This record gives sequence, C-alpha cells and structure tokens, in this order.
Amino acid sequence: MIRIENIAMRFGKTAAVNGVSLHLDSGDSVALWGANGAGKTTLIRCVLGLLRYRGRITLGGHDVRRHGKRARLLVGYVPQEIGFYDDLGVAEAVRFFGRLKGLSHADAGATLDRVGLHGHEHKRIRELSGGMKQRLALAIALLGDPAVLVLDEVTASLDAVGRGEFLALLEQLSGMGRTLLFASHRIEEVASLAKRVAVLEHGRLKEVVPCGDFAARIARNAVLHLSIAAPIRKRAVELLSAEGLAPQLNGAGLLVPVAPEHKAVPFRILADAHIPVDDFELVSHEHAARIGTERMPEEDRP
Amino acid sequence: MTPRCVHVPCTLVVCLVLGPWGVAQARSVEQGAPATPVVSAPAEPGVLGRRIAAAGAGDIIEVEAGVYTERIRINKPVTVVARGRAVLDGGGNGDIVEITAPGVTLRGFTIRNTGIDLDQENTAVRVLAPRATIEDNTLEDILFGIDLREAPDSIVRRNTIGGKALDIARRGDGLRLWRSDRTIIERNTIHNGRDAIVWYSADVEVRNNYAYECRYGLHLMFSDRVTITENEFSRNSVGIYLMYSARVELRQNRLIGNRGPSGYGIGLKETDQFSVRENLIVGNRAGVYIDGSPFTDKQPGVFVRNTLAYNDIGITFLPSARGNELTDNNFIDNIDQVSIAGRGSLDANRFWKGERGNFWSDYSGYDQNRDGVGDFVHESRTLFENLMDREPALRLFLFSPAQQAIEFVGRALPAVRPEAKFTDEVPLMRPVSIEFVPGHGEGRGTSRLLLISGVVLLGLGGGILASARDGARDRIGRHPGAVGREGEIG
Amino acid sequence: MSALGILPTVGVERTPPSVLRNTMTIAQRELREAVRSRWFLLYTLAFAVLGLAVSFVSASGSGGSGLSGFGRTTAGLVNIVLLVVPLMALTAGAASIASDRERGMLSYVFAQPVWRLEVLLGKYIGLAASLLASLSLGLGACAVILAWKGIAARPASIVWLTGLSFALALGMLSVGMLISALARKASVAVGTAIFVWLILVFVSDLALMAGTVALRLRIEELFLLSLLNPLQVFKMWTLHGVDATLDVLGPAGLYASEEYGARLHVMFGAFMLAWVVLPLSAAAAMLSRRSPL
Repeated sequence: MIRIENIAMRFGKTAAVNGVSLHLDSGDSVALWGANGAGKTTLIRCVLGLLRYRGRITLGGHDVRRHGKRARLLVGYVPQEIGFYDDLGVAEAVRFFGRLKGLSHADAGATLDRVGLHGHEHKRIRELSGGMKQRLALAIALLGDPAVLVLDEVTASLDAVGRGEFLALLEQLSGMGRTLLFASHRIEEVASLAKRVAVLEHGRLKEVVPCGDFAARIARNAVLHLSIAAPIRKRAVELLSAEGLAPQLNGAGLLVPVAPEHKAVPFRILADAHIPVDDFELVSHEHAARIGTERMPEEDRP
Repeated sequence: MTPRCVHVPCTLVVCLVLGPWGVAQARSVEQGAPATPVVSAPAEPGVLGRRIAAAGAGDIIEVEAGVYTERIRINKPVTVVARGRAVLDGGGNGDIVEITAPGVTLRGFTIRNTGIDLDQENTAVRVLAPRATIEDNTLEDILFGIDLREAPDSIVRRNTIGGKALDIARRGDGLRLWRSDRTIIERNTIHNGRDAIVWYSADVEVRNNYAYECRYGLHLMFSDRVTITENEFSRNSVGIYLMYSARVELRQNRLIGNRGPSGYGIGLKETDQFSVRENLIVGNRAGVYIDGSPFTDKQPGVFVRNTLAYNDIGITFLPSARGNELTDNNFIDNIDQVSIAGRGSLDANRFWKGERGNFWSDYSGYDQNRDGVGDFVHESRTLFENLMDREPALRLFLFSPAQQAIEFVGRALPAVRPEAKFTDEVPLMRPVSIEFVPGHGEGRGTSRLLLISGVVLLGLGGGILASARDGARDRIGRHPGAVGREGEIG
Repeated sequence: MSALGILPTVGVERTPPSVLRNTMTIAQRELREAVRSRWFLLYTLAFAVLGLAVSFVSASGSGGSGLSGFGRTTAGLVNIVLLVVPLMALTAGAASIASDRERGMLSYVFAQPVWRLEVLLGKYIGLAASLLASLSLGLGACAVILAWKGIAARPASIVWLTGLSFALALGMLSVGMLISALARKASVAVGTAIFVWLILVFVSDLALMAGTVALRLRIEELFLLSLLNPLQVFKMWTLHGVDATLDVLGPAGLYASEEYGARLHVMFGAFMLAWVVLPLSAAAAMLSRRSPL
C-alpha cells in the first residue's frame, strides 16, 4: 500500500531523512519511533508530498510526486496540531474537505457522530477545544473512508482520557483493514496500535522490528525518570550509586536505568533514606538520552 | 469646494421650455430641400446651361427634380431654385457651381461630389460677384463648400455643408469668405470640413450656425467689426479662432468639447477691442487661449458672464496677454482654472473689478455677511498647477494620488508654496445665472441608462455577496493565527 | 467517540475531483472568508463613501451650465480607485497564503488530494470575486446617485471604469499573492504589501516627476516609463476609454494618442495582463517549489 524507496530529504545542509526505505502492505500498521529530530514528521510529510525529496514514494501504486492528487486521495491525514480556518463552521469544514476529496455531498452530521462531535455542527472552529479540533481532524481524515491513515503525534495535545478514546477508535480502524502509518513518542500507543515499529535515528532507518519484540526491548531498556526536589537530588544520586545503579542528574530530577524485573528498586532505596519522590515516568532509552537537553529541530515545530 | 448652486433647476426649466423650439429649428435646417422621391436617372447634359443662357436678368429658373451632372455657371442676375430634389453632381471632378454675376440667388439644391484637388480648390459653390444669396442647399461630399471671393453683401443661410471623409490635412474649407464685407452667415450647419474662415471681410455677422468635427469652427483673419452670436462649435479642433482682427463681439456661443492638439474653445491672437460675453465654454482642452490680445491698449479685453466648466484649462494666458478684465464669469471645475504658459505673470490682467469678481468652484472661503461675495480673497496657488504651468509634461500625473501628495505638501509647507498666480478680491459665492440658447450636441436623458447600469452593478456585487453568504451564518471577524491550545477533551 | 458508525469496506478507488471543481471549491471557501472579514466591510464602505462624496460634489457643481461634469466625476472616481483598490487587492492577496501558512493550514490543505496550483488559483478567483463585489457595490452606488441627481453621464463610462478597476484589482491581487507566496509570516507579507502600495501610488510617480524635471526626459520616454506602473496604465486606459484621447494629460498624453491611437487599448491591455499573469505565475512557481511550512 505504501512503498517508500530510498528517500532523502535535506533542510539546508542537514539531512532530515536519509536513505529510508519502508514498505507497508494493505492492513499493515507501522509506528515511526525515534527521538524528536529523528525524522518522523519529515518522513510523513514526504509521504504526503508536502516536501521535495529524492527517491520514490508510491501510495497504492501512485507516485506521490507525479500523481500526488490521486495518491493523496487514498490517505486520511491527521497532523500533530491543526490550525483550521477559525471562522469556518464545523459542518462547513467537513463539507469543504469532503468536496476536495471528491465526495459530492459529505454527510457532516454522520461524520461528526463517528468521532463524537455530535451536536457541535453549528459551532465555529475557534469555539472548539484542542481535543475537539483533533477529533474534527480525524473526522475529516476519515471522509471518503481512505485506505491509508497517516497520523503525526496525534495524541500529543490530548489528556489521558481523550488519548484512550482516540486510540480505541484507531485500533478499530486498524482492525477493519486500514493501513496505518503513524509517528509516536508513547510506548503504550505503539504497543496497542502498531504491528511493526520503524526506528529512526538521525534521519536514518535503524531497523524495523515486530511490535512485540520492540515492546520487550523497550521494557528491558527502561529508564526511570524521577522528579526529586533540587536540594536532595545530589544525595539521592550518591545513595543509588552506592547500590550499584547508574543515576544521572537531569534538569528536573534523575534518570535511572533499571532492569525490567527490578523497576521498583530505586523507590525502595530512596524511601529508606526518607527522600521523597514527587513523580516518576518510565521512558525509553532513546527518549531518556534527550530529555532536558534536547531542542526541537525546525521540522517539528508547529 | 462645493459650489452652493441652486439655480440648476432654473436652467433646466429654460432648457425644457426652449427645447422643442430648438429641435424644430434644427430640423428646418436639415430639411432645406423638400423630400420628394429621388430621381436617379441623370438629366440630359447641358440642359441647365441652356436654360440659364435663355433666361433674362431677374428671371426665376425653376429646376425640377433630377440629377444634373454638368458644370453650372450663372453669369446673369437670376434666381435658380430647385423644385423637388434637384441634385447637382460633380462626378468627383473639379468645381460644380460658379456665380459670376451680382445678385444671384441659389436655393434648395443638393450639391455633391466635387473633385479632391486641394491645389485647384475644387469647390461646390464659388461666388465671384456681390450680393449673392446661397440658401437652403445641402452640400455633400465636397472639398470646398461655399467660397465667396470678393462677394460683399452676400447671404449664406440655412445650408448644410458636409465635407469629404478625408484626413484633416486633405480636406478643404466648408465655408470661405475673401474680401466679402457685410456678409451674413446664419443657420448653417458645417461638418467634417477643414475651416470656416473669414479673410479680410469687415462687418460680417455670424449667427446661429453649428459646426462640428471640423478643424476650426470659425476662423477670422484680419476681419474687423464681426459679431459672432448664438453659434455652436462642438468637437472641432478649435471652436473660434480670432487672428489679427479688431472690434469683434462674441456672445451666447456654445463651445463644447473642442479638443485638438491645440484644442481651444476660443482662441485670440493679436486681436483688439473684443468682447466675449455669456458664452458657454465646456469640456475643451483649453476653454480660452489668449495670445497678444488685446493687441493695443485702446480697450481692455472684456470677458463677462461666461461659463467655463470642465475644461482641462479654463483660460490659458501667454505672457504676451495683457489688459484683459474678467468679471462675473463662472469657473467651474476646470482641472486648471487659469494657467499662465511658461514663467510669465498674470499681473497685467484683472480678475475682478469694483465689487464684481468671478465665481470659482475651488474657492474655499465663506460669506458670513451674506452679501454674495466671499469674505476672503481668492488666491490661486496650488503647487501642482504651478508645476504643470512650468513643466507641461507633468500633466501626465494628473488625477494620481501623487498629485494630491504634492498639493498637500504645497499647503502644509509655506516654504514650497508657490506665489499666487492671481487674486480675486471679491470672489462670488454663487455662479452667475445665465440663460443659454439650447444647443445641438448634448445627449440628455441618459440618466435612466445610468441608473440601470448602477442597479446592474449593485446587483452584481450583491449577487456575489449572496452566493458567498449562502449557507453561512452572518458573523464578521477573522483572527489570524488564534489557534486554541486547550488540549482537553469533553 | 467509540461509536464508530458504519464504515463501508475499503477498496473502491475513487477518481480525484477535477481541477475546475477543486479550484471552485477553494474559490468559494476563500470568497466566503473574504466577505466575512472585517477588512472587506471596511474597504467596501470606505470605497463607497468616498465615491459617493465625489459623485455628490460633482453633481451639485454643475453650475450655471446645466451640463454634467461627468468627466470630472470620472477623474475623481479614478483618483479614489487608484488609492483604495490597490491597497485592498495587495493586502488581500498578501494575507491569503501567508496567513494560511502561519496557521499550518496550507500544509494541511496541500495534504488533501489537490494540486497546489488549484489552491493558488482557487484563492485568486475567490479573492477576485470578493473584490469585484466590493467594486460593483461602490461604483454602482455612485452611478445610482449620479442618475438620481440627474447628471447626464454616459453609462458606458461607469461600466468601463468598473471593468478597468477590476482589471487593476486583478493585477494588484496577483502581486499580493506573489508577496504572500514569498513571505513566511502574514504580518511580514501585509507589511510588504503596504510598502509596495506606497511605491506604486506615490514613490514611483514622484520619482518619475523628479526625473522628468531633473533629467529632462523626452515625452516619449516619460510615457513609456509610466507604462511600467500599473496604476498609470489603469488611469490612462480609463481616460482613453472615456474620452478616446489622452490630450487631457498634456504633451505626453497627446504624444501617446497621436503616436498609437486606438492601438493604445492593446498596449494598455497587454501591460495590465502582464501584471496579472507574471506575478501569479511567479507565485505558482514559488508555491510548487517550496515546502508549504
């Protein structure tokens, strides 16, 4: 369904994507995994024909560069963040994009029902919350029931509940045979939605692994991100180091690599020493390497 | 800026009352020859010549309808009258009628198709003797129309003279007088000719004529004591041009849309003791052009109660123009009301006298004591006009916002304010009301079409709006870039 | 949200909508947005009010003659058109693509099954329609006022003026869209548009005037140079159409009328067309070459 062959794309002198090849059959679901700046969004934009790339991309056999219109007709796209025409009515927006997708009359009501925007038809887009806008974007992406869905960090602006509902909807679509290509930062998203994971690093495709293997490896390489008040952070590092762990100071706390079967060990050590842990997060190794020091590269800016 | 004008209605009333009369008059001129069925078969050649030869002095020769292709020479004092549509056709060669005896009358003919030789001056009617009466003839497709050479005391009346459709340089004069004193020229219509020109002829009266699309509507050369009244000269290169003449009176003439490269309504060159009264001078390139006039200081040049409106230049003075007095004239929305060519000065001419000045549509003062005279002096000093007078090429920038920028600078910065071109100490607050004889050319009654165009345009605009509003509810306002970032669901 | 509804099975391949259809879809959307914007309202009102003021003044100024001053009215309206229409069209064009780009809307629309040229043309047509509406309303109101005031004017003049104003608007819109295609931010684009407007309206004319005086330009040079400014072309074309001669513009106008005569229509038309086609083509090239971000 999607064939990406030896794609290269540069922003000035920086190679944003380099030598990436990836094939997705119909019904496949591939997550693009990687730190910010690894080239996920760039790759997605190449697939949509938004950027000029070298190499070849086809969607359903249509060359994106030469027959972009026909190729994009197969795709429903949900961007990371969307700036609609603010003054457009919700139903009006659905009809507008429906016409662009060649639907003679898009049933705005039914389309909006599908994503839970029932009753918001007559609102202006600027009256919608960020989450509602995201759902509207999904509704528009689903117009004409495209075979391919391309999603770029779509849950980034959603809270936990919204994220869950959104994922459930996407899982259902994947189950109905849609081809999914999506970029994500979140392990649970990848685990529930992807069949395969394409790992990008500095614009290169490092590997493509089945989702199960990937989840296991992520778990194996898990890093605990602990939020600890600044004055006692140094003491926490000393304590954990003494127990054979390798903590690192980080802007807001500590990063501690942990074995999958011993993830709670640092908590016990710190609790014994009466050092309060304000919050924690389990992050991937790649992600951990960038937390705190990273800057968003240009291509990922909204 | 806005002239306080209340007498437009009264002018309209005048037009309405006089309108039908004017139309009837115009019709009578055009239908000089009675309309009878056209006889196309040519008459026997030489028949007119034989009849003239057979006639005695004082006879009336009636010529029946038909086409006569012979050259006609009238050498005895007879009256030659057309009965029905009698056509004298020159066949495209030479002259057609020549009058060599005094006291001849030629009436009611259609005379057409002279040669086109300018050197030979191919002429429809040439008069070489005094006291001729040429009336009610229709001259068509002719090079020279009526040519009076040393034919004093003649009358040229109610003729229609239409020139050949030639380039202006190859046309002849529709009407020419040469040493023909005391001639009366009235109610003629001349079009597509070169000039109507009067040479060395004194005491001539020119009245109620209409000339359009010629070079000079009327041109005087060395002709004194001529009165020119109630004529209309429209769309010629020049309406009336007076050269080297004296004691000329112009009254109640209409000079409209004369726009040739020189393009004057009235031009005065080295003319003396003239008066220009109650003329309507509208839409010409220059309404009045004054060069070296008055020629002597015997009498000031008189300009009274004229209306100069919508001309590119109202009056243009050459530096040689001195001693003119302008009072009670209306200067209405001429792009340049008064211009002085080159770097001359208007000091030697007066724009007010005693209590009477002129009406200036660009006068910006007011009249608190309500005496009809503005409380402030009218001074003409706009920077752009000043620039245009000095550098005529800059007229190209007329009507552009840059022109207004310059005028604004001229008003705002006294340092670059030009000297006042002239002053009128007693500017009139309201235009002087003048009753005019009705004219020929103006198209009236187009208001309805204008209204229709306006409504169609409004409909077009409204239609576009309606199509855009279709299905959308009214809400105005657009906030670019305001993207919600709340980030929560439900 | 979980209620997914009935989705038909995948596999039926549709054909993408035609160029015309997509262009018109985008044009309608753009027209709607333009008409709803407060700028449209503001400009239309300003235009109509100024035009009506000119019409009233010239209607009441016909003086003792009983004749109309429609030549003067036309001149006054020409002046207003020269001031307002380029500003309107330039800013509308400049805001169009750049503000979409700034909002991320441009790449979102480009990700739909459309060609970029369709988006550009659609926006152009939509904005052009909104400008046409604005012009027709303003000048139509003037015509009604003049007719009501009994001015005997040639209706063809006002139709001609409207037509040419629209042509000028098309040219300026085209320039505005080129600015928009080049600029990253809407504010920069609109600022540039206003700068260009200042140059076209004031600076180039004043410079040419100074050049005429200082360099003693010949009138034929002056005329040909003035053709480079679309505002001058509009003005001369309007006068040429209404009066069939440019002698009102002094020696340079006389030269143009005598040298070129009726061919002036073709010349003016060609220059105006160039102002429509060239910037729009450049904008199309920019848009298809650059990333829409």
